[in-house]
Amino acid sequence: MPPGRFVGLVWQVARREYLRTVRRVGYLFATLLLPGSAVIFLAVSAVAAGGARPIEPSPAELTIHLVNESGVSLGDTFRPGLLRLVERGEGMALLQRGEIGELYILPAGYPGSDRVERLILPTRGVDVVELERRQRQAGLLEDLLRRALASASDLPGQTVERLVEPMRLAEATTTGATGRAPLSVAMFVLPYAFSTLFVISIFVTSGYLLQSVTEEKESRVIEIVLSSVPALPLMAGKIVGLGGAGLTQVAIWVVTALVGLPLAGERIPGLDQVRLAPEMAVLAVVYFLLGYLVYGALFSAVGALAPGTREAQQYAGFFGMFAVVPLLFTGAFLADIESPIVTALSLFPLTAPAAVLQVLILTPEPPWLLVAASLALLIGFAALATAASARVFRATILLYGTRPSLRRIADAIARG
Amino acid sequence: MPARDPVVTLEGVWKRYADRDVVRDLSFELRPGELLGFLGPNGAGKTTTMRLILDLVRPDRGRLSVFGLLPGGDQQARIGYLPEERGLYRDSRLVDTLAYLGTLKGLPAGEARRRAAGLLTEVGLGDVLRRKAGELSRGMHQKAQVVAAILHDPELLLIDEPFQSLDPVNAELLREIIRDRTARGAAVLMSTHDMLEAQSLCDRILLIDEGRRLLYGTVGEVRAAFGEGAVVVRGRDVPADAGRYHTVAVASPADGRVRFLLREGATPRDLFAELAALHLEVEHFEVETPTLEEVFLRAVERSRRAA
Repeated sequence: MPPGRFVGLVWQVARREYLRTVRRVGYLFATLLLPGSAVIFLAVSAVAAGGARPIEPSPAELTIHLVNESGVSLGDTFRPGLLRLVERGEGMALLQRGEIGELYILPAGYPGSDRVERLILPTRGVDVVELERRQRQAGLLEDLLRRALASASDLPGQTVERLVEPMRLAEATTTGATGRAPLSVAMFVLPYAFSTLFVISIFVTSGYLLQSVTEEKESRVIEIVLSSVPALPLMAGKIVGLGGAGLTQVAIWVVTALVGLPLAGERIPGLDQVRLAPEMAVLAVVYFLLGYLVYGALFSAVGALAPGTREAQQYAGFFGMFAVVPLLFTGAFLADIESPIVTALSLFPLTAPAAVLQVLILTPEPPWLLVAASLALLIGFAALATAASARVFRATILLYGTRPSLRRIADAIARG
Repeated sequence: MPARDPVVTLEGVWKRYADRDVVRDLSFELRPGELLGFLGPNGAGKTTTMRLILDLVRPDRGRLSVFGLLPGGDQQARIGYLPEERGLYRDSRLVDTLAYLGTLKGLPAGEARRRAAGLLTEVGLGDVLRRKAGELSRGMHQKAQVVAAILHDPELLLIDEPFQSLDPVNAELLREIIRDRTARGAAVLMSTHDMLEAQSLCDRILLIDEGRRLLYGTVGEVRAAFGEGAVVVRGRDVPADAGRYHTVAVASPADGRVRFLLREGATPRDLFAELAALHLEVEHFEVETPTLEEVFLRAVERSRRAA
């Protein structure tokens, strides 16, 4: 077949499969679930926080209004603006008028007694943002009292500093390399969740491919289609069209992440530290495409040779297990990113997409040697899988209601 | 290729699935403007032969050409196909499906849509253009698929059991479409079990069984090959029971007469002698050319006995 006609047929099939898929209710629901959830989360958190008030309080909101009835001299041991000393009557009046949220009282018995009072107005519920703010205030007050008490003991300034802040831990390896920054829960969980969504997307898209093939086979329309489009451009068109639909889905998710993370970062501590490095975004797309190509080719062949939809889903489930294996081995990835199991999962083509994504999340710099080897194997396998699947597709797609023998499948792959 | 050269040529074509030859040493030609009736029992290899012509499967041996070239490639766009196993996209609008199938045959999208709408209206489906196939009756499906097969004005039309499940009105409509296509010069290969249909419509007949060609020629030639194969007898108490005669394969009563289909090798003279030996009173004895159905039965019987 001339290349122009081949490309034309691939385009016709791809266009139809793309448009048909992106108009499906299931696809729209799955695609918009993430952005929709992000919008709902931001809206709900804004409402719960009482408007657009962020979790991080401003310095003015952290100002401590303190009645000092003890003999402890607080002096100038505190950052200006964060402490305002008031008389009890003045403080009570400010509190009653709602000009301050709380009034701290250092009683006469302090430091003989460790009791420090915080007066607040009666409330009917719990305001999470207020709790967070008061917790920060209490920490600052503890810091202030430590400094005041240490200063009173005539200890050297440096000792006072170390009493207040005993250490700042710096991690290094025996080779002298600086340890990586500690991984916050948000820094790990969010990209991990993202990579899980990513694997799901490969599956959902391959699932659409499987559905498309089995549907055409079961409705018998396949024979009419094949009388116009040979098996290879038909399969290629389906892979391109449905891959485009999957890529659209991933693109919407990536844009959601890029837009949503900074906004959500104001509400979730640690989230603003999450960064999507450009090279990771590129590699993510490459692994998505190759992963989809491998699974898409396998699922096309499965759809062609299975006698019905149920059997097709069962067979596809067998291959699908491989894609989720890296997610089951998350412990191994967290424990040692250079362990043999991690390397093996990153190199094996059926597990590579999910495995390498995890490696990229957990390493400050992509391990380029591993990535290159993994990509080479994945590209080679994708080419072989596509060629073999096209042969199986052609040999078995017109067998209605019967399951071809393994011998026939092997024969189809060998002879073409 | 000169205008009257065969559109399809098969020479000694073989196709094997697993341990069975489904097409054996098959040869025939199909010419422009010709309607070739493709007959044979179930599993005879008719559908496989059509799939060979369409390049859906490839022959193991032999020579096969379509429009003077190997099957597949650009000439696919010149072929229309109505398969025995039929279907449409259930969740797509009829006109969309047909327009898509038209674009796969090389029609521009707008032209495919315009032709689809026009032809669907011509066959009485104008009211359901925008309905989904899943909402249509079986007969409507059938007509829509006929439209899909001729949408791009093909020069070669392969139709597999086209009259299956069609009511008489729609069957006549299909006959009209087939006649119209051949009149315009299209070559048509029609597989059917309906001998009367084949006898009335087809220019030539190709009968195969177990993948092998049994008969090939015009309807007249094929029937003439079994020219003395049938006898009509009227008489008193003539038994319409083939088991009572050595020379008869099938005996069927009709209007006070009995129609005998003779066994292979038996002649009307042999039957006459047998009737006389049985002392039956015969008033009328007439030799007839067998119907195509009788020819079919006898040819298949002969072939299987020989095997």
